Amino acid sequence: MALTITCPICGKRNGYEFRYGGEEKGPRPDEKDLTPESWCDYVHMNQCVAGVQQEWWFHRDGCGSWFTIFRDTTTNLEKETPEAKE
Amino acid sequence: MKDIKRHSAVAFKATPLKNQTYGDWDVVLEYHGEGDGPWLVDLSHRTRLDLQSADLAAKKPFGITIPEVYCQSVLEKGVLINRMNRIQASIYHLDGQSMDTPKEKEYTDVTEATIFVAIFGSNVFSICEKLSALDFIGADKQTPFLFQGPFSHVPCQIVTLGREAEKSGVVLTCSRGYGKHMIDGILHAGEEFGLKPAGEKRFADWINSL
Repeated sequence: MALTITCPICGKRNGYEFRYGGEEKGPRPDEKDLTPESWCDYVHMNQCVAGVQQEWWFHRDGCGSWFTIFRDTTTNLEKETPEAKE
Repeated sequence: MKDIKRHSAVAFKATPLKNQTYGDWDVVLEYHGEGDGPWLVDLSHRTRLDLQSADLAAKKPFGITIPEVYCQSVLEKGVLINRMNRIQASIYHLDGQSMDTPKEKEYTDVTEATIFVAIFGSNVFSICEKLSALDFIGADKQTPFLFQGPFSHVPCQIVTLGREAEKSGVVLTCSRGYGKHMIDGILHAGEEFGLKPAGEKRFADWINSL
């Protein structure tokens, strides 16, 4: 099924209007005691969840806003909450 | 000192019948063989402003209140104001004499960065449907309203000003660099519906009828 994404400004749109921005990983780690390894993990390592995950999207062809949605990676369908089930 | 001469990125293969100088622009008021509609009009000489402020509610450009709802527009005194997001609104000058840019730093004149065209008359939405998946009729919305999205695969701002039969129409802006190919695409899509280039007089009649 084609992916649709709900932009907070423009509403529900075709997924091709957006650019994927990666998994939501929480706030940037505190620079105090930050090691190269932990920074590398933060930047490059992903959870690759088989299920519902929170992720960033950019409305490239529309309003230009960045936002997060919840998407089920097994069905490629947007979910309203992380607990949403089929 | 040489006089500044500005040129639109939009060029029609039609014969102008009446021209008028509008500031530094040479504007066609009427073309030969405009037909019965729908029409495509180049409005690139008309002023477009970008307004950015953390407190948009406090701004009243040209005495007009900016809509609170995102993607809602308002047309008053010949000025169209479109709410883009929390902090931004676009302002188009559609009717009347030239519009002066307000002196405040929140306003940026983007007239020369974009093209600006109007498509109006019968079958407008059938033409738009061939170029974009967006629903420009927006039956659940109150006209005028704004779309920020792809039109002919180009990121655009498109505002539906009317959706009733002969009065239906949209205005569209996109980056100036896409101008030539955007116009070619629109004219090609509108060929089967009789879309013809028209002068600004035709646009003024339409705006005044809304």
